[in-house]
Amino acid sequence: MATINGCPVDRIDTLQSIELAEGVEIHLRAAGPYVRVLAYLIDFLIRIGVCVVAYFLIMLFSLIVGGNVAQGLSMLIMFVLVFFYYVVFEAGKRGASPGKRVMGLRVVDTSGAPITFGQSFIRNMLRFADGMPIPTYGFGLLSTLMNRRFQRLGDLLANTVVVYDRLPLMHLASLPPALESSSPGVVLTREEQAALLAFRERGGMWSEARRIELADHAQELTGRTGQAGMSRLLGIAQWLGEKH
Amino acid sequence: MQGKEFEEKNHARWTEYEEALAKLEKQGQQAQDVSRIPTMFREVCTDLALARHRMYGVLMNERLNGLVIRGHKQIHRRAGGTWDKLFRFVLIDFPVAVRAEWRLLIVCTLAFILPLVGVALAGFYWPDFSWIEAVLGADMMGDLDMMYGSPDDQISNLRDAYGSNFMMFCHYIWNNIGIDFRIYAGGIIACLGTLFFLIYNGVFFGAVVAYIHVACSTEAFYTFVAGHSSFELIAMVIAGMAGMRIGLGLLNPGRKTLRRSLMDAGKRSLPLIFGAAIMTFIAAAIEGFWSAQAMPPMAKYSVGIALWLVCIFYLGLAGKHISVRSAKKERSSIEA
Repeated sequence: MATINGCPVDRIDTLQSIELAEGVEIHLRAAGPYVRVLAYLIDFLIRIGVCVVAYFLIMLFSLIVGGNVAQGLSMLIMFVLVFFYYVVFEAGKRGASPGKRVMGLRVVDTSGAPITFGQSFIRNMLRFADGMPIPTYGFGLLSTLMNRRFQRLGDLLANTVVVYDRLPLMHLASLPPALESSSPGVVLTREEQAALLAFRERGGMWSEARRIELADHAQELTGRTGQAGMSRLLGIAQWLGEKH
Repeated sequence: MQGKEFEEKNHARWTEYEEALAKLEKQGQQAQDVSRIPTMFREVCTDLALARHRMYGVLMNERLNGLVIRGHKQIHRRAGGTWDKLFRFVLIDFPVAVRAEWRLLIVCTLAFILPLVGVALAGFYWPDFSWIEAVLGADMMGDLDMMYGSPDDQISNLRDAYGSNFMMFCHYIWNNIGIDFRIYAGGIIACLGTLFFLIYNGVFFGAVVAYIHVACSTEAFYTFVAGHSSFELIAMVIAGMAGMRIGLGLLNPGRKTLRRSLMDAGKRSLPLIFGAAIMTFIAAAIEGFWSAQAMPPMAKYSVGIALWLVCIFYLGLAGKHISVRSAKKERSSIEA
């Protein structure tokens, strides 16, 4: 279950929390189909590009070694590009094909560790099944939409997940601290504290009207509505931030 | 303590850790003394846990989370030893894995052999070209005529041009290993893809054999295929076993969850498909460079039979002493 500020929340977003041997949880953000399709298209273009360049090189090369050897080489290149392009890149140090790197993605084990060659092999051989019915990637898409980690069939078999390599920076805009801090007067649970702190942390992103609308939900706590309620809410958040 | 104070107090430590990590990621272990990195990593882990518990805010949590992930990636890397692993795989793991899946071996062999024999026999007894043509197609029949039409070394003549052996070797890699991989991937569709490819190939080869017996020189055909047939056909059946394994992971999870069952099936299928790819590669080398050489038929047949025996004994016996020993050890450890 994912947590925010240490509080459990059920499926609020795509964060995967994983507990490490060191006793701490890390959050990985699983990548959805859209960004992966873009990565796929980039990889596709790269492979087409390699084919075109290789074609001209082999044309030149065939003048030296003869047509048969050149034709054989071109088949070897096809073999490597079709079957091992992804396997090699994803088993490598960066754990991502060039297209995935451009989109900021990476393939990891569901434990968060880098994947082995075997895992890379399985997940990429299964592309032939995920890609069915050609050319829609229908099976893969269906599978990604049916589980929490956006795993396609190959991912399920290899126990891998595609994640954002560096988490994209959250767009946050805090509100300025309240002028005076005020005690809430009642004991707040951790979830409630977290909600108040998050309210202050993100408040700068919303219009005044929206802030007031949200603050009105906490009427029971603040005892007021409108502008006054919001000020009181921010005051409580300030008080929480000061506590030891 | 407030978030700001916490950050100020630990800032120097985090920066030091981050710099050490960046260096490690860029230049590897040789560039610096890495002995302190695990300690620093654990400290940052503690910081992350503290920051989360004290609700120091998303920004700091995200930053520490990122630092921990990067350290985790560097510290928990898998051990190397590629060559050792490869030798162990060829000598022990692969044949042991094939024997462990003997039920699938029988199923896949039958799925390939029965249609082959059936179609071939039908071809001998009702030599009617119309349905053979329906299976093979006119082009394929033309190719067969060209290769095996008469016993006077047509294939080795076809391969006279410089580099044509190499070209055919590459063609067999592309084509045959590709077929293995498709047989494998097709397994995830509830075994249907795998079974389809195996049966289809059985029917196709059966039709080829029938056509050769009716219209071409059997000697030209059998001398050509004798050398590589063992590796190629056994590898195809083993690729089928790998595909069936993953299909069964989906169809028959038993007492495991579906996710767990698929994961285990993937792991178990891996030695099979790797081994199949290696065997098909060997077959491609034989087919490309040896099978088309002009040689007395008896020499070719004896090499072919020898290679079949090698394959059978290899898969039947290799690694047996090790697996028996490890099974005994397991048993004794359970008893102890």
